[in-house]
Amino acid sequence: LASIFSGMDPATASKSNHCLDAAKACNLNDNCKRLRSAYISTCNRELSAAEPCSRRKCHKALRQFFDRVPGEFTFRLLFCSCKDTACAERRRQTIVPSCSYEDKDRPNCLDLRGACRADHLCRSRLADFHTNCQATFQSPTSCPGDNFQACLGSYAGLIGFDITPNYVDASTTSITISPWCSCKGSGNMEEECEKFLRDFTENPCLRNAIQAFGNGTDVNLVPKN
Amino acid sequence: SRRKRARARHKPCELRELEVSVSELGLGYESDETVLFRYCSGTCEAAVRSYDLSLKSMRSRRKIRKEKIRARPCCRPLAYDDDVSFLDAYNRYYTVNELSAKECGCV
Repeated sequence: LASIFSGMDPATASKSNHCLDAAKACNLNDNCKRLRSAYISTCNRELSAAEPCSRRKCHKALRQFFDRVPGEFTFRLLFCSCKDTACAERRRQTIVPSCSYEDKDRPNCLDLRGACRADHLCRSRLADFHTNCQATFQSPTSCPGDNFQACLGSYAGLIGFDITPNYVDASTTSITISPWCSCKGSGNMEEECEKFLRDFTENPCLRNAIQAFGNGTDVNLVPKN
Repeated sequence: SRRKRARARHKPCELRELEVSVSELGLGYESDETVLFRYCSGTCEAAVRSYDLSLKSMRSRRKIRKEKIRARPCCRPLAYDDDVSFLDAYNRYYTVNELSAKECGCV
């Protein structure tokens, strides 16, 4: 019997939660813990019954977290792989979506893109995302230059801006990412809007990059330089 | 061994740390998240002040009788660590302050 369970306690094996492990790694690092706590407390602070939080301050604290904490911590929190919904819900909750992501109504995606382009930093981060996560059929990974890290980094770079993307649900089988917007009311720009939205929702490069990170299979694909 | 334990008991006041789950803190939160709990531990024999010696003397001379006094220094936090935040089992975030010691001293 001992040999069957060797190396793996069945109780801990069934409970393994990579997103929880990522939170632990962050909590044990003073810098990560401090900046994580800073954005969580800011994004979670209720101002009044009418205003559940200050989105502006929440976004700023999120940007500081992703700018100042190394990717070895932030990527683990954002892209942890999950086998159950508890884990996937924790992953979805990483950016405190009730404050940083969700809103009363869903704006049109092209309006959201317009708001992002009006801000020089958001504009350049969005351009990075389109460059580094652009799905291509010329490479086996669907990513430009097979560079998963560049795509993941550009994705994380959008968090805390108008275009903040997130997991749309706590599904473990299919990963769907989207900014908080829809293509309703696009008029004659409908096609352009759908194309923009699909770069998030149906992007094989982004999906492969996230899955490879979660499985730990992206290691060999990072170009050495 | 016994000698090892005796030596551990006589370590001077210093910061120590434990990795514990949030549930284990006993603050009423339910979360499997792990946090670093830093605490102050050790003896303060070297930090006895004239104050402590005099206080002891007053007590033995029965000048102080009914009051609760402490005539020796105590190993306690001088400063506390930054806030700690975590997600609980019901997907709510919480932030706790002054959870962990940052600096210890004989006070």
